[in-house]
Amino acid sequence: MQPIQLFELASRQAEWLSVRQEVVATNIANANTPKFRARDVTPFDAVLQSAHTAMARTNPAHLAGETVGGDRIGIEEEALSNEIGVQESGNTVALASELAKTGEIKRQYELNTQLVKSFHSMMMSVVAR
Amino acid sequence: MDPLSASLKIAGSGMEAQSTRLRIVSENIANARTTGDTPGADAYRRKTVSFGAELDKASGATLVGVNKLGVDRSKFVEEFDPSHPAADERGIVKMPNVNLLIEMADMREANRSYDANLQTIRQTRDLISATLDLLKGQ
Repeated sequence: MQPIQLFELASRQAEWLSVRQEVVATNIANANTPKFRARDVTPFDAVLQSAHTAMARTNPAHLAGETVGGDRIGIEEEALSNEIGVQESGNTVALASELAKTGEIKRQYELNTQLVKSFHSMMMSVVAR
Repeated sequence: MDPLSASLKIAGSGMEAQSTRLRIVSENIANARTTGDTPGADAYRRKTVSFGAELDKASGATLVGVNKLGVDRSKFVEEFDPSHPAADERGIVKMPNVNLLIEMADMREANRSYDANLQTIRQTRDLISATLDLLKGQ
């Protein structure tokens, strides 16, 4: 019998979504900080393939790159938006698209938790008397 | 620190920075007509605020904070009013270099950024409660 992978997949997506929420929160908080460049996480399918491109750290004193969650989720500079480009202050945060992103994160996260819930109830219906 | 709690902390720091900015704007507006009280004395100088991204060592999150409170070094507005206590020998009074239109625009932007941070907190709270809902009984 095949092992059930849905729970692992769901928890990885939830982890990716919450890291993305943190990055978006940073962008929004720094919407008026001079010289701040907007950032985003690497897409989830790239995380899934687990392309392990981070350099190996053979000594704890080595600097870790900008990755979270067991070196799987990378954080990179976001492409410039057409809405504003680079502002006079050197800031590149487009507030409207960041807010749209938080809405998207919320929708995906709720879909994720609902799926876990229904899958859990399916499993319970197997073992329940 | 898990990313969702870090998000709450980051948005909180953004709200704090924006409210400092609102405080500076209200100081500028309140002192828009504050002059010196001896002849030829300088008037109130407009204050400015600038933000900086700062790394929080404990959580690894990039917070925002007030980087520098400065003053606007531009020239005072000169008005002719010989009866004013701060008028010099030519009857000129130095008025603050506060432009109400600029302050209003700044206030609007601070307000908008504050709202955006507030929205982040709401969204993050919803994500946390969606996670907790998994623990509730079927």
